[in-house]
Amino acid sequence: MAEVVTRDFVSATQAAVKDTQLRQALRRAGTGFDGTRREAIHEVTPEVWEEWREQARRIKEHTIGHLDYYLEMLERNVTAAGGRVHFAADAGQANAIVAQIARDNGVRTVTKSKSMVSEELGLNHVLEAQGIDVFETDLGEYIIQLANETPSHLVAPALHKTRRQVAQLFADQLGVPYSEDIEEMARIARVVLRQKFLDADMGISGANFLVAETGSLVIITNEGNGRLCTSAPRVHVGLAGMEKVIPSLQDLAVFLRLLPRSATGQRITSYMSMVTGPRRPDDEDGPEEFHLVIVDNGRSRLLADPALRESLYCIRCGACLNVCPVYQRVGGHAYGWVYPGPIGSIVTPGLVGLGQAKDLPNASTLCGACRDACPVQINIPRMLLHLRHVAAEGQGSYQGTGSDTESLFARGFAAVMSSPRLLNLGRKMGRWLLAPLANRGVLGQTRLPVVSRWTRARDLPIPPPRSFAEIWRDELSNSGSDSKRA
Amino acid sequence: MSQPRTIRASLFTTCIVDQLYPEVGVSVVRVLRRAGVEVDYPEGQTCCGQPLYNSGFTGEARKLAERTLNLLDDRAFVVVPSGSCGAMMRVFYLDLFADDPELQARARDLSQRVYEFTEFLVDVVGYEPATGDQPERGCRVAYHPSCHLLREMEVTGAPQRLLDAAPGIERVDLPDAEQCCGFGGTFAIKYPHISEEMLADKVAAATGSGADTLTACDMGCLMHIGGAVSRQKLPLRVRHIAQLLDGESG
Amino acid sequence: MGIPSAQFRETIRAALGRQSGPPAEPYDVLAEEFPALEARAEAVRERAARETPELLDRMAETAALRGWNVQRCDGAEEALDYVTSLARSLGATSVARSEQEVFETVPVDAAVAGAGGLCWPAVYDGPSSRTEVRQRLAESDMGITGADYAIAETGSVVVLPRRGLSRLVSVVPPVHLAIVRPSDLLGTLDDLFALRRLEHVRNGGDMGSYLNFITGPSRTADIEQTIVVGVHGPREVHMVLLDKE
Repeated sequence: MAEVVTRDFVSATQAAVKDTQLRQALRRAGTGFDGTRREAIHEVTPEVWEEWREQARRIKEHTIGHLDYYLEMLERNVTAAGGRVHFAADAGQANAIVAQIARDNGVRTVTKSKSMVSEELGLNHVLEAQGIDVFETDLGEYIIQLANETPSHLVAPALHKTRRQVAQLFADQLGVPYSEDIEEMARIARVVLRQKFLDADMGISGANFLVAETGSLVIITNEGNGRLCTSAPRVHVGLAGMEKVIPSLQDLAVFLRLLPRSATGQRITSYMSMVTGPRRPDDEDGPEEFHLVIVDNGRSRLLADPALRESLYCIRCGACLNVCPVYQRVGGHAYGWVYPGPIGSIVTPGLVGLGQAKDLPNASTLCGACRDACPVQINIPRMLLHLRHVAAEGQGSYQGTGSDTESLFARGFAAVMSSPRLLNLGRKMGRWLLAPLANRGVLGQTRLPVVSRWTRARDLPIPPPRSFAEIWRDELSNSGSDSKRA
Repeated sequence: MSQPRTIRASLFTTCIVDQLYPEVGVSVVRVLRRAGVEVDYPEGQTCCGQPLYNSGFTGEARKLAERTLNLLDDRAFVVVPSGSCGAMMRVFYLDLFADDPELQARARDLSQRVYEFTEFLVDVVGYEPATGDQPERGCRVAYHPSCHLLREMEVTGAPQRLLDAAPGIERVDLPDAEQCCGFGGTFAIKYPHISEEMLADKVAAATGSGADTLTACDMGCLMHIGGAVSRQKLPLRVRHIAQLLDGESG
Repeated sequence: MGIPSAQFRETIRAALGRQSGPPAEPYDVLAEEFPALEARAEAVRERAARETPELLDRMAETAALRGWNVQRCDGAEEALDYVTSLARSLGATSVARSEQEVFETVPVDAAVAGAGGLCWPAVYDGPSSRTEVRQRLAESDMGITGADYAIAETGSVVVLPRRGLSRLVSVVPPVHLAIVRPSDLLGTLDDLFALRRLEHVRNGGDMGSYLNFITGPSRTADIEQTIVVGVHGPREVHMVLLDKE
């Protein structure tokens, strides 16, 4: 599996917020994608958009609720079309399956179109260890493969890289003359990868959707690399998380409307390719073998928890990242694993364990922008709250280890708030302690523990002599309504 | 004039107003009374439980929520000068008591009676601030829609309507208004480095808007934004919307 | 290596707390019987035929917005003129095309020849010619195909690779030209999928190995969100929209 460094969230984000280049890149992408997304919604009207979202959600809810049934239907129909379906309980199994297919076919070169699942599995390293040349072909993925990095965004994997960095990378790794011209860089990638496409023995793709009734794998791309990966090599392997299935071809329509608009604001992507089995004997071209690898790798744990199940409705559009004020400041890498942003803060603890990723559910102000942007209405804040609850009070299947200090503080807070008398006493003590430290009526920078984390950038009010309850009792309770004036 | 009818409302001030910003509570009472509302104040109220709920301490939060339900069970309308606490009572109590049908039924009942302050003024009272109600003063006000008010309580227009109708207030656009200010309760002290970045953007948007006053319906957000404004000694007043409607000129 | 599918499904059922078997409430779309599907598909066809003039206008407008160079043509002659002038402006020497019915009414070979180029059918005569055809495709200046469907809602051309229609003709050359007849036009994505489903049922569960849904040129914005056209697919796409068959 891909390296999990989710425990470093605090130090990673401390570095990230100071990275002005990253911030600039994030702002460009965030406002760019989100601006066109909003335009696209406006164009179809918010009412129609809401209907689409509800329809999509109903489809996902139904399918995930009967996932075993639809996976069986999918398997039957892929097999009937001449393909083979493999089931992997975890990353190790998935990688072994793909490696075996490669060995069986004497594969030396692999071209890949973008697949987040393959990033999750860390598949490239496994194939490379077997002596296979693996080429990512999505431009963004190609860039991060050359840089030996991981994606920082669900749909724009190299978003964190500036044109200068890419130019330097191409010059260093490909031996081409340094050029900051973006068209030129895209041209270089085209030329380098063109021959790989034609030479590759095996193509690996992800799947945006799997259609149960026809046994089809659907991928949505803009560059055309997905078409080449699934058309040119002798063998095509599709990788998909088990949640990607939808019942009918008819269900695809609404997702084709929602996904591109949510992801980049495009009304439709340049390409949608639907693969149903290998080439037929009569076909001019296409792979002779088609394999579909369905991956669990922790998803059944998310499925088992009714509070987290809807995280499996995600179609990986990245809209929640683009609107998230936290993601927009820290970028994708800080989240420490393959899936960043708000949805990553649910999926990552689910897949790698909450104990490994305790910061992620807390790294949100619960502002709700992600839920509003989600094309399948996933209630991300509610799931973050659930994970916080599990971490704090240690129940459920994702039991983390709550912090004792915090738990003590929470109990103390509850005790004080259960008694107006104690609360008032608390305020008076606070006033007594803090007033001597005050300057212009507020508390400025201080070394007091916890408080200092507030006061490093913000003044704190000193509790006033009287509470509202006291003012009410003394002055307001008997003054009645002065509405007669109006 | 419409039929004279007396609307009674029970005020839930929220603990932050009660303990740190009592003057906001006073303005809330004054504006409600001016709007013809008969205001009462259920004694013994403290915290709705939201800070605990947001930190995952559901068990402790339930104690406070149940306490709040007990206080508010028979009140016709409950008015809360906060979108955040209002959302807790309207939306999250239902989740909090999901496994207890009796308490959940009471929570559901409360959810239909609880209103955020501006929402109550506009949707229930039909209040239009009028000249003569308040002292005339000229100020340019930027309104920050706090996240839970906007997205959980779905109050999208009431505050702006009241500000637009209030004499002497000129409302100016706040750039990226719907971006969170970075408070998020414990978020601000757990991840101060991220919170401060969000805060800096919000403060920059407010100062760049041409407003002399920033307002919102939540003292949590305003304590956060105001704390930075005060630290940086910026020429910007930060006021709860009730204070502006009350004609407080500070 | 992996686990048996039954075991995989058992894990899922345990997670869902569900017994095996179909959903208690049948899924509407899948419950549709063949005659109903056939009737719906027929209705789609009829509506498209009835609304052809509107669909043509909508197609032209949407396709242009999505990056196609749209040329509306009154008939084959105009279409061929367009092909000739395009081939000439590209300085095309090698133009690949599919073998499709549309070229009987719009014989593009002569039109390309008129511009001094060679138009050749990209079909394989057995496995040995595969490498050769691919190499020729990689060196050609343009690929021409017909359309199996054209979707007005999205401005897209749908091609179904099969005998005579290589998957690569519309993606490998730097320019793609699609010839769309009025009878190819459909209103919406829903229309397309209704017809594909019917095909699937009719052919006993087979609707072909591939479907290409093409909307505008190949593009990327992976470096600094700057849009560049023509990454791995064509940088330039042309749609000849025939106003009548």
